[in-house]
Amino acid sequence: MQDLQEKLISGFQTVETALNGQAQTPIHVIRKQALKRFAELGFPTIRHEEWKYTNLMSVVKQDYVLGLQTAPNLTKTDIEPFLMPDVEANVLVFVNGTYSADLSTIISDKGVEVMPLSEAFKKKTATVEKHFAQYAAWQNDAMLALNTAFALNGAYIEVAKGAVIEEPFHLLYVNDSRKQSTFAPARNLVIVGANAEATIVESVHTLVSGANVGLTNLVSELVLADNAKLSHYKVQNDVEQSHFVGAIHAHQEATSVLNTVVVTLSGGVVRNNLNAVLAGKAADTHFYGLYLVNGKTLVDNHTLADHAVAHCTSNELYKGIMDDKATGVFNGKIMVRPDAQKTLAYQSNRNILLSPNATVNTKPQLEIFADDVKCSHGCTSGQLDDESLFYLRARGLDKEQARALLLYAFAGEITEKIELEPLRERLESIIAERLHQELL
Amino acid sequence: MLTITNLQASVEGKEILKGINLTIGKGEIHAIMGPNGSGKSTLASVLAGREDYEITGGSVNFDGHDLLEMSPEERAREGVFLAFQYPVEVPGVSNTNFLKAAVNEVRKHRGLDPMEPKAFLNMMREKMALVEMDQAMVSRSVNEGFSGGEKKRNEIFQMAMLEPKLSILDETDSGLDIDALKIVANGVNKLRSKETSTIVITHYQRLLDYIVPDFVHVLYKGRIVKSGGKELALELEAKGYDWVKELALEEAGV
Repeated sequence: MQDLQEKLISGFQTVETALNGQAQTPIHVIRKQALKRFAELGFPTIRHEEWKYTNLMSVVKQDYVLGLQTAPNLTKTDIEPFLMPDVEANVLVFVNGTYSADLSTIISDKGVEVMPLSEAFKKKTATVEKHFAQYAAWQNDAMLALNTAFALNGAYIEVAKGAVIEEPFHLLYVNDSRKQSTFAPARNLVIVGANAEATIVESVHTLVSGANVGLTNLVSELVLADNAKLSHYKVQNDVEQSHFVGAIHAHQEATSVLNTVVVTLSGGVVRNNLNAVLAGKAADTHFYGLYLVNGKTLVDNHTLADHAVAHCTSNELYKGIMDDKATGVFNGKIMVRPDAQKTLAYQSNRNILLSPNATVNTKPQLEIFADDVKCSHGCTSGQLDDESLFYLRARGLDKEQARALLLYAFAGEITEKIELEPLRERLESIIAERLHQELL
Repeated sequence: MLTITNLQASVEGKEILKGINLTIGKGEIHAIMGPNGSGKSTLASVLAGREDYEITGGSVNFDGHDLLEMSPEERAREGVFLAFQYPVEVPGVSNTNFLKAAVNEVRKHRGLDPMEPKAFLNMMREKMALVEMDQAMVSRSVNEGFSGGEKKRNEIFQMAMLEPKLSILDETDSGLDIDALKIVANGVNKLRSKETSTIVITHYQRLLDYIVPDFVHVLYKGRIVKSGGKELALELEAKGYDWVKELALEEAGV
């Protein structure tokens, strides 16, 4: 069996020949450089500080095919369970990394240009070249370099100045690994114009059979112009035979507001990087995360709030509930650069371990190079509070009910940050059901 | 209603209750007073089923049941209510949802169907008035961000909702100003009936001006050293706890 790194490098040549006229474009030059860098770096190992607790070796040693070279035929019925019911949304569906026009539905027609990235390379060349790979710095990040090399498709969303798009954009990625284990890359570019507003939901769904597994590598670059507002919700409720390595790289101009919520409920190995550069005065970023996992699921969240200029705010809260042999990893970094006076940066990571075999590794990192700032961080890991449990039981609730109620409330502090109501309600009902089942 | 016989309990190997005997009849209010560290709150906790205490001897009979054999939730469903000295904040759980769950558990135990939403809301409104709670307080998370007085009022509100047979008020007066104290006492008095009993645990006589007990017991070093009528509280107020300590020494024959 050829190893995945070699297989991807040779797969790149095949994909490249299919690009025809585009092989000489500046974008493709970046892809080639990124591939070369990926070849040099190789897949990260636990010797790499950023991957200390997340071992990708068992993930990458599977016999994957490159998704871009497969052509699965899915129907609307296949993707029906992955859609958000009761939401009028733009739905962009990607199957193994390739856009499916048949399965997608675009309803917003004013104030926004939505298309697959493959099309944007041709139709929106100048804008794409201005932003693509400008925020997601791949030079020292093997997985990002890999994603950049295979950045052939994904979503392109450009919201016009002042436009408020009511309908959310649901970016839905299906990894169809039923025939063979599949590596599916995808790359999004989202540009929100000045004073514009939009909401994005990202979800990955893996289809498997037998011993197959799916690996999805998804990166989004989010650009927020002055005073733009973007809500980004990432929902991870995939099968245990799925692995995910992804990143969000946001660039925020003055007084823009980014609200991100990452909810992980199941999966195999799940790695989320989330970086926001606060590049314009008084930009505001919110990172919220919930990982409620059991079995052998590993969830690794690495975040970076990068305060580049003065008067910006970052507010981060990640909460975890781990049962069975699940593992949580949280690494939250706050960077305050020398010009970033009057920064307000808060970070908190709270974990509840329900089983003696569950683990969490949490590490806050503060790098502060300005002197007039307010930064705080804190993390806790433990069991449910006995005093609270006793209080609820003393009112007649049994132990399991009391536990479920407290855990539900613990998780609720994150889900309540989801402003898209049908999505929030759906997640809350999944969580309620999960807690109920697990605790009885 | 409640018969405590030679109850002994310890925590982390240290004996706190050294043989309590106490009988509480239907419709009675008993006050338990005593200096700090005498075991008052331990007695309340043991009766409610807190698991930090080890029962080393004695028995407690509640309405024909062996109370010590029951889990905290079973005791609550059978009609034992502890108003906590330090009510716990439960962020993310609204008072309303919490009470709905609790009330329905108690009803289930009594063989009753869950309350209709409308009937439940009417009941809430009626009981809120007892302790002068407003809708905003009830909609908030349980005790979260409540002042000391609000927390104690919320305890009495929960008590009113759950309609217990035996209520144990553990230093409900601590940290209350006089207005809050009156509201709380007034709530307790309105809930008083011939069928229910109350244990009022307090350090000070003040609360007993408003909740008038039928009996007063003085707890010292894990034993009841003196029992009497409501006038005993006044005597304690006048003479102080040193008098009790002397009594205890005399009893021990020193």
